[in-house]
Amino acid sequence: MSILENAKQTVQGAAQAAMKKAIALAPDSWLPGGQPDPLIRQQHGLIGAPVSRLDGPLKVRGQAPFAAEFPLDGMVYAAIAFSAVAKGRIAALDLAAAEAAPGVVLVMTHANTPRLQPMPLFLTAEKAAGGDDLPVMQDDRIHWNGQPIAVVLAETQEQADHASSLIRATYEAEPATIAFAEAKAQGTEPGQFMGQPLKLEKGDAEAALAASPVSVDATYVTPRHNHNPIEPHAATLAWDGDRLLLHDASQAVAHTAWSLAQVFGIEEKQVRVTSPFVGGGFGSKTLWQHQVLGAAAAKLAGRPVRIALSREGMHRMIGGRTLTEQRVAIGAQPDGRFEAIIHTGTVAMTRHNALPEPFILPTRSAYAAGSLKLDVEVAYMDMLANTFMRAPGEAVGTFALECAIDELAAKLGMDPVELRIRNEPERDPVEGTPFSARHIVEAWRAGAERFGWSRRNPTPGAVRDGEWLVGLGCATATYPYYRMPGGAARLTLTRDGRVRVEIAAHEMGMGTATAQSQVVAERLGLPLEAVSFAYGDSSLPGVVLAGGSQQTAAIGAAVAAAHRVLVAELLQLAGNDSPLAGLKPEEVGGLDGGLAGLEEPARRESYASILARAGREAVVAEASAPPPLETQHWSMHSHGAMFCEARVNRITGEPRISRFLGSMDCGRILNAKTAASQFRGGIIMGLGLALMEETQFDERKGRIMNPSLAEYHVPVHMDVPEIDVIWTDIPDPHAPMGARGVGEIGITGTGAAVANAIFNATGRRVRDLPITLDKLL
Amino acid sequence: MSDRIGFLLNGAPVSLPAGTSPTMTLLDWLRGPAGLTGTKEGCAEGDCGACTVVLEAADGGRAPINACLAMLGQMHGRAIRTVEGLRGEEGGPHPVQRRLAEADATQCGFCTPGIVMAAWAQAREGGDPHEALAGNLCRCTGYRPILDALAAMQDDRAPPPVLPVAGTACFTAEGQVFHHPASLAELLRLRAAHPAALLLAGGTDLGLLASEHRQRPAAVIALDAVPELQACTGDAAGLSIGAALPYGRLLPWLDGGLAPFAALLRRLGSRQIRSLGTLGGNLGTASPIGDALPVLLALGAGLRIASARGERACAVEEFLTGYRRTTLAPDEVILAIRLPRPAAGEILVCEKLSKRHDQDIAAVSGAFLLRVEAGRVAAARLAFGGMGPMAARARAAEAALTGAPLARPAFEAAAAALAQDVAPLSDWRGSAAYRLAAAQGLLRRLHWRIARPDLPLEVHAL
Repeated sequence: MSILENAKQTVQGAAQAAMKKAIALAPDSWLPGGQPDPLIRQQHGLIGAPVSRLDGPLKVRGQAPFAAEFPLDGMVYAAIAFSAVAKGRIAALDLAAAEAAPGVVLVMTHANTPRLQPMPLFLTAEKAAGGDDLPVMQDDRIHWNGQPIAVVLAETQEQADHASSLIRATYEAEPATIAFAEAKAQGTEPGQFMGQPLKLEKGDAEAALAASPVSVDATYVTPRHNHNPIEPHAATLAWDGDRLLLHDASQAVAHTAWSLAQVFGIEEKQVRVTSPFVGGGFGSKTLWQHQVLGAAAAKLAGRPVRIALSREGMHRMIGGRTLTEQRVAIGAQPDGRFEAIIHTGTVAMTRHNALPEPFILPTRSAYAAGSLKLDVEVAYMDMLANTFMRAPGEAVGTFALECAIDELAAKLGMDPVELRIRNEPERDPVEGTPFSARHIVEAWRAGAERFGWSRRNPTPGAVRDGEWLVGLGCATATYPYYRMPGGAARLTLTRDGRVRVEIAAHEMGMGTATAQSQVVAERLGLPLEAVSFAYGDSSLPGVVLAGGSQQTAAIGAAVAAAHRVLVAELLQLAGNDSPLAGLKPEEVGGLDGGLAGLEEPARRESYASILARAGREAVVAEASAPPPLETQHWSMHSHGAMFCEARVNRITGEPRISRFLGSMDCGRILNAKTAASQFRGGIIMGLGLALMEETQFDERKGRIMNPSLAEYHVPVHMDVPEIDVIWTDIPDPHAPMGARGVGEIGITGTGAAVANAIFNATGRRVRDLPITLDKLL
Repeated sequence: MSDRIGFLLNGAPVSLPAGTSPTMTLLDWLRGPAGLTGTKEGCAEGDCGACTVVLEAADGGRAPINACLAMLGQMHGRAIRTVEGLRGEEGGPHPVQRRLAEADATQCGFCTPGIVMAAWAQAREGGDPHEALAGNLCRCTGYRPILDALAAMQDDRAPPPVLPVAGTACFTAEGQVFHHPASLAELLRLRAAHPAALLLAGGTDLGLLASEHRQRPAAVIALDAVPELQACTGDAAGLSIGAALPYGRLLPWLDGGLAPFAALLRRLGSRQIRSLGTLGGNLGTASPIGDALPVLLALGAGLRIASARGERACAVEEFLTGYRRTTLAPDEVILAIRLPRPAAGEILVCEKLSKRHDQDIAAVSGAFLLRVEAGRVAAARLAFGGMGPMAARARAAEAALTGAPLARPAFEAAAAALAQDVAPLSDWRGSAAYRLAAAQGLLRRLHWRIARPDLPLEVHAL
């Protein structure tokens, strides 16, 4: 981790100076009316330390239990058969062979599925988690090619799989809208995202574009993507009377429990969802039809069920990122100042899902411009519902926007880094609110220096190394700070000086439990070993989505709230005989296993002593996080300056990425090791987006043609160069712990940095992803 | 004759109940009846490596395999180790596990047990750590900490297992029979009696029937216990390679002039695939893009084919007749491949172009054998895969090169002539136009490879 250490030292001076200024100036904080999180003041200790993830030893021994690995007595295994047409009705289902196959316990179709309500569609209610709101095997209607038409339960997985392959369906197919051009021709509608229209005009951007001395105007296309976490979706579940226990692979346990209760018409508290380990999610591990089908089949068979999707099943049933077709036009003065940015286009979506890929989001806040025109139009298709995938909007929106800026820089004869810095806004360009902390310029400067950007030859195709053309490119990464309502946590402090944190949060590999344990240890003044972190269970407090890079803030705010309650309770218990007597809760903090005055650390009493004198074994404090008003007061965004060196073979067109640097500005980093891993993982997924990932959709049948890891290519390690990551580490005074999320930003900007490097290498501007070898020869 | 599938699992003998489906994958069995869920299912088709387990050989060798592609019947007589079977001192984590945890080489942890097993094999087998990791996908961590940990692994010097003696066996289950012959005579007799049975050479293609396509094949004849099919012998003129010898055990034989073939095979699937996959299988399935086939064509390899009727010889070029079609009769099996070594003055060059460096099917593959004498191309055999319904020689391009001076114009002429030789398709691996242009480029590169060996032509180990 020497690179990281160096990076931290490089920016240390800048970080401290900026932080002091930020705190001094702050009239507000993440808790409106309150003070910045006191933890920001602590510059040493556990926060930021490169602690190895606490569950690593369990994982390397194969002992971390994933969703499909809970053995339940009398359990049967499920397999699913899928529709082969895109629209119409099932005319007949021949189940005879399947029902007669060895080991089969039950075949469930629309004819015998219990009556169910549709899944509450994600974002339509606080705890709605459904990927679609279609009837789940309730009738003979087919809505997409790949829809489940039957579930087989058998004594072994092999028997269930085999029997499901014997089901013969005949269909009455109906005309379906499965070609994007046809969908567009039928008319588009403006997209809505979280209740807001994805449409915005500031000034007359078209007129300003036409009047601009220099301009670019081009169309960029991004294909469908699938999350493809290495763990396929799975659930192991059992009914006990009318109570459902579901071991799920979930990034939304509380949401899933509530939503399943709606589907089965039972109380929320009758459903318990656990998810101790999740083998990657990236937005996909919410509620989809398989959990509902598994629970329905378990009810029908009267036996526990394991329903684990095959890789093909994932592609058929779990939505991915939809395709986009984006126009970006930028008008500029000869000195580079933007007069107009136009970012409009069309995405494909279904009538039964909630996400029009909001590719304009990065353009709302990235640059100053005299005028803006943003619009996401939706064309409706008969296909699997699309959904959120790592940095929805930003991942593909930054590809178009940041390529266009590179094209403009080439036209202006300007350095693309300088062009970006020239258009740095002073306030949020759309909302007019101040930025909570924006240090992208520092990130650009530090990144350019470290990457050796000054050595770039601006003339495309000018640098050769044998057969290889070599180029450098860059792009801005950006992702907002979110904190969703609903966070709550429980702290249990025991007399032996240990604390247990309980919150219905998630660990999908991000290092949540590790980083948050560090924070709690620091907040309470305890060693890391004294903290235990319970998560991944809907019976715990809080409604916390592991999505939108918001979990860190959501947990942090909830734990901070619970901590205030805990401190007040402890001070009361300490009473007048304590050195702490007379101090108010906001005047004390955790120190060396006890409470101490913030200004007078000598006034201290250990937790053990307070509890012992009060005759208590433990103190329990539970509280909800305050509403996320900070996002109303401030424009809160993380940024990154992405640098790429690409090589393209002149003979074969093969592209290879030989160097990559992400220079990040994401507030304070809580764990240098897990954060670096998150940044790198995001960047690698961005390399996949740039060079190989594409869900192939057959527009004649409406069927996904590459439902496998053999044909849906995710990067193998030989596709991945050494990725250097540095960060400003400047705390955001308006975020809990000063930290904004780090999970999604890595995938943003990366696609454009690659495309821009390939342009610099070859002179070829590829505007449709992925940039495969055949587009470069 | 045994009718129970038996093997060593983590050092302990296991005998499966009669009637167990012999085509059930090892992975389904481990995660289901055996209750060993440390081994993960990520793709069930040999791509992700989450199900990696290790076959331990009597000589101490360790071959990582994809448990999702291995049928239970095929495991008869083997020694299998899973992540649950690794132990350190006093029952703690094995040093390989500890090192990966300390290096933060695990994130979500789902791919981790497979990587642990690949690393455990690598610690003994050695070689390029990049290669050891090629068969394991990770979507979180970014590979680098894994690679760093892998590079520093040390062998635990654990003793090899004592393998059970496995004679000819036959396993039956409802509607299924799985023959496991242990002698060539028995194999040929079974083949004559069951011409419709599937021949299971390694299972990296056939295994998909069970794992991905959910079939229960009715009759299978496994080739892995027939000694003649596992043998490899060599002399100055060439190698005789048993048709069911896994690529992983073939690699050490490919030295000298055959080294370019070895480099290509290192990109044929992953180590896991090469531990099971065989040249005989590649020939038997006769895929138009089988990576090894152009090399066999360029080298002029021949086959020994056997049946109860006797033995015959056949050039690979005559063996392949069309899209997944060969001259193999229903009662025949491929016995061995005769692979000539390039003679003095001959140069072998192998190429594979794919969208992804590892674990990908070629858009275009090529193998070229040139004899250069006195500054002229005395002879040329050029073969391509992915350029038509079957791997084939490019005779017009060969004619353009043969006899010409070893200089740029000859290779340009060959590239131009290539258009007459091939009929590529457009698919998502590449358009027809790309394939032709890239294949022509490979011929230009061939000139540079011979004339300018100092040029950097590949970017490896970035």
